[in-house]
Amino acid sequence: MAESGKSEQIITQFFLKVLHAVLGSRIPHRHGAAPPDPARARKRDRWFNLALGDLPLAFDHPHHSVMDPLIIDIILTPRPPADLPEAIVERWTAQCESWNAPHSPDNSPSFLYRRTYKKSILLLRSLYCFLRLLPAYRVFRMLRSSNQSHNYDLSYRALSFAEPFSREEEREFKLHSFTPVETQFGQLIVSVQYRPSLSDFNLEASSLLPPMIITDYVGSPATDPMRAFPSSPYERGARPISFPLRGVRTSATPSAPRPHSWTSAPLVHHPLSSFPIPASPPDGYGNRIPSQRPTTHRKGSFSFDEFKFSPPFSSPSPTPSPPAQGSSYLHSHLRSETAPLSIPQPLTGKSRVHSSPILSDPTKIFLPPPSPRSMRTDLSSQNSPLESRSFRKSEGLRAGDIYSNLQWYTAQKSLKDGRDDSGRFSSVLSSGGSPRLAFSRSSSRLSMQDDIDDGDFSCPFAVDDVDTSDSQNRSLDGKEPPESIQASSHKSQDAAVGILIQMLKTAAPLRQDHSYSSQSSTSELNGVIGTSSFFSRRTSDALEELRSYKEMKEILLSRSGTNKKKSSILWHQDP
Amino acid sequence: MNCETCQLKELVVEPLEIRDVLRCILHTIVFHRALGLVRPKDVDCELFEITYVQCGDAELERKIDEKIDLFIGWVEKHPNKKSQVCLSFYEVRNKQATWMFSNKTERLYWEQWYINLHVINTKTHGKSHNSKAPINPGDNALEESSSRRASLESALHEVLFQIIKFVNEKKDHIPSVTNSEVISFPYEITTPR
Repeated sequence: MAESGKSEQIITQFFLKVLHAVLGSRIPHRHGAAPPDPARARKRDRWFNLALGDLPLAFDHPHHSVMDPLIIDIILTPRPPADLPEAIVERWTAQCESWNAPHSPDNSPSFLYRRTYKKSILLLRSLYCFLRLLPAYRVFRMLRSSNQSHNYDLSYRALSFAEPFSREEEREFKLHSFTPVETQFGQLIVSVQYRPSLSDFNLEASSLLPPMIITDYVGSPATDPMRAFPSSPYERGARPISFPLRGVRTSATPSAPRPHSWTSAPLVHHPLSSFPIPASPPDGYGNRIPSQRPTTHRKGSFSFDEFKFSPPFSSPSPTPSPPAQGSSYLHSHLRSETAPLSIPQPLTGKSRVHSSPILSDPTKIFLPPPSPRSMRTDLSSQNSPLESRSFRKSEGLRAGDIYSNLQWYTAQKSLKDGRDDSGRFSSVLSSGGSPRLAFSRSSSRLSMQDDIDDGDFSCPFAVDDVDTSDSQNRSLDGKEPPESIQASSHKSQDAAVGILIQMLKTAAPLRQDHSYSSQSSTSELNGVIGTSSFFSRRTSDALEELRSYKEMKEILLSRSGTNKKKSSILWHQDP
Repeated sequence: MNCETCQLKELVVEPLEIRDVLRCILHTIVFHRALGLVRPKDVDCELFEITYVQCGDAELERKIDEKIDLFIGWVEKHPNKKSQVCLSFYEVRNKQATWMFSNKTERLYWEQWYINLHVINTKTHGKSHNSKAPINPGDNALEESSSRRASLESALHEVLFQIIKFVNEKKDHIPSVTNSEVISFPYEITTPR
């Protein structure tokens, strides 16, 4: 591209940037804002290294040649029903005035456009700062931040030509001119005529909300978010203040007529302001947003030797920040509407009703069953080893409580066979880890199996059983030899019961059982044993029965022995 | 290359106002010298009805706050004194070694800003002037404080205009930008010791 084309492009983009900067800090309401095109926005931001965000509104900037001036009038327009004339509060003028550039090597086209660009950057920085120092900026902030209606509004006109002010009007304005920037086509001159004070316009908001302290801050778990605020300014006909978000008016007031912390614009610390100016919410303009660190991947952004016209970024620069506060506003708003979660209470002893956080199905709340299920409930309510231990200690499943042991046995059996129902069990048990963990988890998982297996419940004994010996672990697999009964005599009472139960589980039916006595019984003894019903017995009963059978056997044997003798004697006696 | 110097108009401040005033001035100056891609960040002064612009660099913000803390510490030890905080921009040049073991870099300052502050403590300063006991000491003090604050705000406005004017008028001495950082030039903030 020829140097003249580059200069022209710089000037054109400069005018656009001036327009963008001025309107972005003067026109509060975004009407018909065009959806941002990220690629175009990025490219636009890179010009003059000043990222100003999205265009404030859809405006048709007048197409003009570089030699046509750009005039932007900022107008204070009274709102109806006020019948007052509108007033120009600022007039910004940017133009390229022809000049007779002195002949010097510094003014060669190739050198000039680089210098033009550099100085344009500096000028735009100053312009941006200066915009915030003028009185109209405070009006802009007030109008933008508040959802209240005001008696005035700010608008603009972008022209290539405007009637100059009369002498009287000029007296009301102050003039500030920025230092011109030399270009190939002339000098870029930016100036502003502004009213040093806007107090004559009597700017005010209707139904101004006084500052108020929200005593019961929404979001606190102690408060009801839906509760109406008692002395609400709504009673006085005022409307809540919300953050205007890119033209999206948050007129959707909360269902509860209650000002929430996110709906009230915090008052800015301006003790000397003539009218209250709420703090400006963030907008997409880069204002008051914790700005992202701009990408600095430009190569030689400013070197005279490496100057590039088109945005010289190899990767996209950050797009103007979206109304992040808006989204967080929405989120915070939504959060306030959800019901607080109930915190599950820790279980102590025989707490009957609880909601375990481990439960994947929170609807499965254990209720005290009137039947054998009650034991399951109590036992399965333990979801931690410590609790199971304390439970065990407090409840004290006694050795004589064979009924619960029997049920525990059936639970064990179902656990072992439970892999078909839930792989979790098998995975937990086969991991070789502590069945403490297995049972602490299974207490909840068993609850899941309520619908699957009726006879299941967890037993806290396994916690202790596992802790005491590995053999008890192995006992789960049913490989425990009978000798373990003798070993358990030294263990706790509960452990002994556990071992017995495991024995019963692994023991063959009495009908076919030969393990209780190394002295093999006679067929009569076997028949007697076989007739007994196993499941209706308790361990102690079984042992007693065993003893009785042994005695009977001995008696029978002894009797048969004596009978034989007698019969032999009798036989011998009869001739 | 000549070094351009700007002496800013003196501001009479109270200790509590130092931070706000210095932040405003220092950030405004640096914003004009941060020639990398900047997403400007508007910041409202805490005590004044003034909005200034930061360039959004977190490291810069941290450094400025650090220096302000240092200055405040010095002020506490030297109350009711006039002082200066100096913001300098420089270039680093490698000095050619005249002999083998010397390889120094030198700083060539091309711009220096002097922020002139007169820190006063109104409690001690005010008492010395009042010979008569006021009827309503609380109201008078408040009124005095408000008017002093208003004049400081106006003076701060003027200082910011002064910065903008200086930045616009003096551009030729700025060196070439040789990096893609936001803060294009090395800088230094000097406080009294």
